[in-house]
Amino acid sequence: MVEMTELTTLSTIKCKQQVVRAVRFNVDGTYCLTCGADKKIKLWNPHRQILLKTYGGHGNEVLDAAGSCDSSQIISCSTDKSVILWDVTTGQPLRRYRGHAGPVTCIKYNEESTMAVSGSIDNTVCFWDVISRRQEPVQVLKDAKDTITSIQVTDHEVLTTSVDSHIRLYDIRVGKMISDYIGHIVTYGNLTRDGQCYILSCADNTIKLFDKETGELLNTFMGHECIDYLLENAVNEKDSHIICGSATGEVFYYDLISSKCTQKLRHSDNKPVVSLNHHPTDNFLITACEDEIKLWGVQAMEE
Amino acid sequence: MSDSDDDNDNFVRYGTALEPIEEDEVPTKRKFQQAPDQYAVDEHGRRRFHGAFTGGFSAGFGNTVGSQEGWKPSNFKSSRSEKAAFSNQRPEDFMDEEDRGEFGIAPRQVQTQREFSGQKRQHRTQYHDGPIPGEPVLHQLLRPVHETAAVRMLRAMGWREGQGMGERLSSRDKKKSKEQHKVYGCYMPPELRQAQEDQSMEESESSDSEVDFDTLFAPDDYEPYILQRKNDRFGLGYSGLSRHSVLGNLIGEYGSEPGSSKSHLLMKDKGKRVSIRGQAFGVGAFEADDEDIYAKEDMSHYDFSLDGPVQTKKNTPKKDNQKNRNVLEGFVKSTKPLPSVPTYPPPALPRDYVPAAAGARRSRFEPTTQQPRDQGLGRHELSARARGELLGETPLPPPPPETPVKDQKDLTTVLGKTINFVSTVEKTELDYIPIKDSGKEITKVFKPFIGNPEKQKRYEKYLENKGVLERDGDMDKLQEWERERELVEFEQAAKLYKPLSGVMGDRFTHASEPDDAVNPLTAVAKSTNTYGLATKEQIEAAQKGMYGVMTRQTVTWRPDPLVSKRFNVPEIGGARQQEKKEDRPKVSYSIFSYLESSVHDKDSFAAEQNKFSGSKSLTTSILPKTDKKATETPQSSTQVPQNNDPIVQSTDTNAKPTTSASITKETVTGFAKRMTVAELFLKESENTKKEGAAVTDTIQKFDRMDLYKSIFLSDTEDEEDSEKSKVNDGTDFIDVPKNVERNTSPPRGIFANIDFDEINSWRRKEPEKVAEEPTKKNESIHKFNKSVGNPPEEKNDEANEAMYGPKIPENLQKRLESEVQKDSLKETIDVDSSSSEDSWVDIKEVKNKKQKKKKSKKHKSKHKKKSKSKKKDR
Repeated sequence: MVEMTELTTLSTIKCKQQVVRAVRFNVDGTYCLTCGADKKIKLWNPHRQILLKTYGGHGNEVLDAAGSCDSSQIISCSTDKSVILWDVTTGQPLRRYRGHAGPVTCIKYNEESTMAVSGSIDNTVCFWDVISRRQEPVQVLKDAKDTITSIQVTDHEVLTTSVDSHIRLYDIRVGKMISDYIGHIVTYGNLTRDGQCYILSCADNTIKLFDKETGELLNTFMGHECIDYLLENAVNEKDSHIICGSATGEVFYYDLISSKCTQKLRHSDNKPVVSLNHHPTDNFLITACEDEIKLWGVQAMEE
Repeated sequence: MSDSDDDNDNFVRYGTALEPIEEDEVPTKRKFQQAPDQYAVDEHGRRRFHGAFTGGFSAGFGNTVGSQEGWKPSNFKSSRSEKAAFSNQRPEDFMDEEDRGEFGIAPRQVQTQREFSGQKRQHRTQYHDGPIPGEPVLHQLLRPVHETAAVRMLRAMGWREGQGMGERLSSRDKKKSKEQHKVYGCYMPPELRQAQEDQSMEESESSDSEVDFDTLFAPDDYEPYILQRKNDRFGLGYSGLSRHSVLGNLIGEYGSEPGSSKSHLLMKDKGKRVSIRGQAFGVGAFEADDEDIYAKEDMSHYDFSLDGPVQTKKNTPKKDNQKNRNVLEGFVKSTKPLPSVPTYPPPALPRDYVPAAAGARRSRFEPTTQQPRDQGLGRHELSARARGELLGETPLPPPPPETPVKDQKDLTTVLGKTINFVSTVEKTELDYIPIKDSGKEITKVFKPFIGNPEKQKRYEKYLENKGVLERDGDMDKLQEWERERELVEFEQAAKLYKPLSGVMGDRFTHASEPDDAVNPLTAVAKSTNTYGLATKEQIEAAQKGMYGVMTRQTVTWRPDPLVSKRFNVPEIGGARQQEKKEDRPKVSYSIFSYLESSVHDKDSFAAEQNKFSGSKSLTTSILPKTDKKATETPQSSTQVPQNNDPIVQSTDTNAKPTTSASITKETVTGFAKRMTVAELFLKESENTKKEGAAVTDTIQKFDRMDLYKSIFLSDTEDEEDSEKSKVNDGTDFIDVPKNVERNTSPPRGIFANIDFDEINSWRRKEPEKVAEEPTKKNESIHKFNKSVGNPPEEKNDEANEAMYGPKIPENLQKRLESEVQKDSLKETIDVDSSSSEDSWVDIKEVKNKKQKKKKSKKHKSKHKKKSKSKKKDR
């Protein structure tokens, strides 16, 4: 059991983006992307509180974004039904994919950033070939019967969660699709860092931990509140805690094993913490609430 | 001028020469101007404009601003010493001469002095203060007109108004000067003109002889030629056609009585001449011929008679003139009326036609009187029911009466309350056809492989498994390549036979709750719709928290090859042999694109041909699809016929010089040889079945060649080859049957008695047999295998059974039969004699010097096998 050290706010950034829809660390956690309701994506260094670049070109609210593994490209998706591939340095859109019939809610790169996987309100998941100039999706998954809420991509798997109360795990290696019925709307799905469990934020104010192999429920985490918000969750770098935002403006740290709330971070008062992302390797958490993002971490003692 | 010009100064030059254009240089339209050229200068070469900061234009004394001297002010004059000579400065003192010039800022004009201009200077008269003060009224009313000085001078010199200027003339001279006539065409030579003038003079003298010749007249006043301002946009000198009729007044205008007719045809000089006024057409700008384009046409310029001027006018009776007053001179009114122009009745209006004013525009918000019809698409004319029937849906039960729901709605409107509809609406019958169900039914209806029930079964299984062919009992019967092909076929069939519901079904879902038009903001219960995905047990299990096996579903899913590639994951089941050729998926999903990409298009057909090497060559492609399918059946492919057909054997032996070389036999062998290639392959494929992929390679190799041949080379090429070899052997000479048609000369010698036409016609029928035979032959072949030395009658019977196409004529058949018998007998003998392989090879080597190595190999191997099988049989 790893002892939790108290996390404190290291920095607070006012993004001036009306509302931040999603906040994402880049591959090594030095930068973060905020997707705003003002149709822009902003690239920040949250540790030093510097705005690096603004990416404008979407026709509507940006709902999700992801940075490529070499941090040279950004892929983003928006309510304008399009997916845009950005060049980080120039800030210009490289490609715009218009394959979805509805707002695109979530997007992820694969491991080598050769392909982007996007999920949409039109119930489909599209695979986009980022390498070639192909404009059409390489493959479209139409299994879901309602909005895709989140996507996770591993080296050979794609996990999608949907409002139709199912999660689907597409195994590219085996050629199988495993769908699990959850019984509640799944607002966000995540995989533990060891890749053995799903962490599913459900609309019934719980987070459920499932075993990937068997589909059995391992644990349920309760305490936070989600009032029709698509709240996200995260795991910390050691797989010891599950982190989740709440509609009450707090961030909950649950112990993975004991399912107890070990820590509450207060981000704001009664404003839902819709998006959060954990640093891939270090104990940093970034949370977004309205147009404010906060970086949480352990204060360095020697300074 | 420069020195270079010295050598050619024998001609004069004006201006400065253009700079020679360099060869590389592209000549610019705009002439290059050097900076000094771009300054505007006055006539003295001084700069005129200096820009705002240098004092504007022509600045300074003598335009000195900007020059070295700078602006020089006028000298200061002390007014102390010469006070009397003090004069006011005028603006002109500060002006240059060009300012006072025509285009300057204060141009100077020469004007007539006031006293000469005719305007008397107003004297300030003092009006005396009498009983009527002020200006006298009479003074106001009458203003004296003052002549100009010139008029007064003229008056003094004896000039009267209305007279011209100049010397007084005699009447004769005056007349002469009056006739300042215009001349059309060439001027007359002076002597002639003189004569004419004299003539006319005499006439006139006779007319006004009463006037005293001594009397001198003042010349006529000069009529000033007043230019009229042009206020239209016609061409110069053009006056358009007015609305006057040619002969009379403005049509329908006031005063159109005959007397006042303002005709274009004018009588000048009291009926002497007729002139036409007005001009209809000018002359084009590029027509240079017409010298006097603005001349007015005059009838007097034309001679109407051959014998000089005649007074015809006087003879015409007035009454007649009155009668046809609208008739041109020289014309007579016709007595016959003109043939009436045929009139066509206007089209009958439709009965319900409502006339509308032409200009009236209909507002788009106006209610339309007639119902807009759905245009173009006939499907809208079908009712929903009819469409449903077409799609194979079960007809709907009539909708239940809706009264209770309506009452509730009324209630909500009355009360203005929000009612939770989710709870109130009881789940009655669905008022729609569930999309999924209809789709399933349709897939049941569509059975693309109904002709082959086993295949259909496999197809259904394939659909169930969502795109994965499972290996099972009858699957193993099929070979690898066949399975591949079937997979492709199934994929396309699934795509093609998936109806709309399949395509659209996953895009749309039915509303789970009715729309509340009254209050759209009613609270909606949180949707936990499972869309029919979760079973009851699953839901229960989930509620109990019993996740796991119950809630889990595993379905096979095939990632796109590119996805696997990008994820660095090996493709499932290995790379498919037939990759999608088109890199881009078709955007248009029309039915035609599906049809095109179906199995039956050209490419896939060719591919199929490659894979399946039944009786290949043109004959199969000519056959209808059903036949092809029949040949595709697994039985035909799995059961490889033993290649012991007598006819086939005869082909092999045709390399050897046969003693009895009849043309009929030749043709038979030619046809049969094509068969052997196919069968050879089948045999080979069976032999090398274990080698898998290697087989397909060889197949493709063979078949590509054969396909090529069947397309580009004639059918009888094989025969020709063999024939040639025979010629080389020199043992036998037979005319090549193919060339018979070309040889127009009558057959001579040994060919004299042969009916070539008959033979050829028979040959042409033969190929149709090819496709059918392999299957039918199987039985016979097996029989034949058992007993090689069977009596020939049996064989013939079978051959007759296997006959395909129109019946062979009696006489020919007899001959054929005898031939075949002979052949078969011979064959057995031949084979026996040639049981040693070495001898075969030797002959082959001799024969195949030319080319066709593959062919020879094939033959060889076949023969070897055949001989082997023969041995075994023995």
